[in-house]
Amino acid sequence: MTWGRRAGSLRLRLLGATLVTLALALTGAHVWLGGLFRDHVLRQFDISLTQQLDQLTARLVLDAQGQPQIDPNRLTDPRWARPYSGLYWQLDAMGDDDQLRRGVLRSRSLWDAELRLEADALANGALHNHDSTGPRGETLRVVERSLQIAEQPQARWRLMVAADTREALAAVDDFNGVLAASLVALGLLLALAALAQVGVGLAPLRKLQGALQRVREGRAPRLEGRFPAEVQPLIDDFNGVLDRNAEVVARARTQAGNLAHALKTPLAVLENAARQSTDPTLAPLVTEQVALAQRHIHWHLARARAAATGHLPGQRTPLAPLLDGLLRVMDKLHAARALDLDGGDVPADWAFAGEEQDLQEMLGNLLDNACRSARTAVRVRVQREGAQLQIAVDDDGPGIAPEQRAAVLQRGVRLDESRPGSGLGLAIVVELATLYGGALTLDSSDLGGLSARLTLPAAA
Amino acid sequence: MRILLVEDEPTLRAQLREALTSAGYAVDEADNGRDAHFLGDTEAFDAVILDLGLPVLDGLTVLKRWRDAGRTMPVLILTARDNWSEKVAGIDAGADDYLTKPFHWEELLARLRALIRRAAGQASPVLRCGELQLDTRSGRVTLGGQPVTLTSHEFKVLDYLMHRPGAVVSRSELTEHIYAQDFDRDSNTIEVFVGRLRKKLPPDCIETVRGLGYRLVAP
Repeated sequence: MTWGRRAGSLRLRLLGATLVTLALALTGAHVWLGGLFRDHVLRQFDISLTQQLDQLTARLVLDAQGQPQIDPNRLTDPRWARPYSGLYWQLDAMGDDDQLRRGVLRSRSLWDAELRLEADALANGALHNHDSTGPRGETLRVVERSLQIAEQPQARWRLMVAADTREALAAVDDFNGVLAASLVALGLLLALAALAQVGVGLAPLRKLQGALQRVREGRAPRLEGRFPAEVQPLIDDFNGVLDRNAEVVARARTQAGNLAHALKTPLAVLENAARQSTDPTLAPLVTEQVALAQRHIHWHLARARAAATGHLPGQRTPLAPLLDGLLRVMDKLHAARALDLDGGDVPADWAFAGEEQDLQEMLGNLLDNACRSARTAVRVRVQREGAQLQIAVDDDGPGIAPEQRAAVLQRGVRLDESRPGSGLGLAIVVELATLYGGALTLDSSDLGGLSARLTLPAAA
Repeated sequence: MRILLVEDEPTLRAQLREALTSAGYAVDEADNGRDAHFLGDTEAFDAVILDLGLPVLDGLTVLKRWRDAGRTMPVLILTARDNWSEKVAGIDAGADDYLTKPFHWEELLARLRALIRRAAGQASPVLRCGELQLDTRSGRVTLGGQPVTLTSHEFKVLDYLMHRPGAVVSRSELTEHIYAQDFDRDSNTIEVFVGRLRKKLPPDCIETVRGLGYRLVAP
C-alpha cells in the first residue's frame, strides 16, 4: 500500500470533478456573455442604421419631374460619398404589379453595384432588417422601410440603408478575446484554489498516514493526534482495534504463563518424590520425563509468546535499561563465580523494535549461557548499523568448536549434559530473532570463548 | 543455620522441609505471604526460600517490605516463573538468588550454602580457622587434615561460629539460628554443645567472652 496510489486517486477524483465543473461553467459563461455582447452590439448597429434611415427618409423629396431625389450634399456622413466605403443606401421603386425596380436612387458609395434584396410586402413605414452581401462580398446589415410619398400616393418605395458589419463584429471578436483571456485567468485561479482546497481537505489523511507509519515503525502504540470530526471516528475505532489486539495478546500471554507455572510445581513435587523412591528405575524415569515435560512447556510457552507479539505494531524497547537489569540478575545468579560483567556503554536512545519480554528472553539466554561458560569475564557490545542493532555477547570460556555451532542452535541440544538448563536457550533466541527478521550467529571471541552475535531491528 | 521456607504447595513444602532438615538446617515454614512477612520481620533467619505466587500477599511484595524495613537476610526466590523479566523484577525487589521450578536439590542446596556464606562475608566454600576446616559442601570438619566427628547439633554450632570467625556470638543468637521457632529452646543446651565441641577441638579455640557470648579464634 502506498500513499501515492490510493490517496492520489482520491485527490485526482476531487480535482477532476472540480476542474471539469469549472471548465463547463466558464465555457458556458463565455458563450453566454459573448452572445449577449454580440446581440447588444448588433442592436446598437441597427439603431444607428435606423437613424441613418430616418435621416435619409427626411431628405427624400420629389423633383419637378416627380422623380425622387436625395441631395447628397445634405448628407453629413462622408462614407456615403466614398466608393465601397461600407455604408450604403438605395431606393427601390415597387410597382403595383410587384414590378421591382432596383436602385432608382443609390448612394455614391455603391458606385456601380446595387443592393439586391428580395421584394417583401411591408406595411407603409414599417422597418425590416436583413442580412445581405455587399458589392465587395462583405457582410451587410440592412434596414429597409416601405414608403409612400404624399404627392404620389400610387407609388411605393423601398428605402434601405446597409452597413458593413465587419468593424462591429471585430469589436465583438475583440471582446470575446478579452473575455476568453479573463475567463481562462479566472479558471486558473479557481483551479489553484481547488488544488489548495483539496490539499487542505486531504491534509488530515496525510497526517493519518504519518501516524500509521509511526505505529508501523514502532514509534507509537496508537494513532496519535486529533483529527477532523469526519476522520476522528475512524481513528478512534482503529485505536480501539489496536488496544483490543494488545489486550488479547496480553491475556493470551498471561494465560499461557499461568498454565506453565501451574504445571511446574507439580512437576517439581513429582520429581522430588521419585528421587526419594526406593524403586531404582522410577527416579531416572520420572526425572527424564519431567525434564522432557519441562522442555516442552518452556519451548511452547516461548513460541506462543513470540508468535503472539511478533506482529504487534508500535513496539519500542529501550536497550540500555533492559541490559542493566539483566546484568544485575546475572551478577546475582552467578555471584559464586565473581565474573567481570561488562555491559559497555549503550546510548540511551537505542531501542529494539519489538516487545520487551522477547528482547529480555533473547538477551537473558545469551547472557546466562555466557556466564555459565565464562571463566572470568563476559562482555556485551552493541552497535547500531542503519535500522539494525548488533548485539555481541562474548565470554572467555572454552568456546564452541566451529563444527558444533550449528548443532547448538537447534532445539534441545546441549553440549554439556551435566549442567543444568533445558538446552533450549539458543534455539529460543534463534526462533525469536527470526520472528523479528533478525538472526543469531556464533563465532569465536577475541576474549577466547564464544561470541554470540544477535542482529535485531532497531526502533527509530 | 535457620531457614525460612515460604511455599504454599503443601507437598512440595513437605519435601523441601525434609531435604533442608536432613541437610542440617533448622526450618521455619509459612504457606502464605502474610505469615511469611511476619516471621521474616520478627525472627532471625540465615536465609529465606521464597515462592512468588503466594496467597494473601505475593512474594515480591513480602520481599520488598522486608527490604524496606531493613531486613538483610539472604533471600532465594524459588518459583515457577521463569521469564527473564520476572527474574529482573525479583532481583530488583531485593532477592539474592533466583531458582526456577522444577529444580535439582543439589543446585538448591548449593545455592543456599553459597548465599549464607556470602552473607557472612565468606568467599570460599571451605571455611578455615587455623588448623580447623569446615567444608560447607560436604559438611566435613577436619582438624590438621584429620576428620572430626560431630553430632548434628555440635555441627550446627560450629558451622554458625565458623561463618563468623573472630566475632562475638551471643548464646541467644546461637539459639535463634540453630533451632526453628516452634522448638523448645533452652540456651543451657548451647553451653552443653559448646562444652562438647571444646573437647573435640583444640583448647581455647572457642573463647567465652564473659557476659557477651562465644568467639571462635585461631588456636
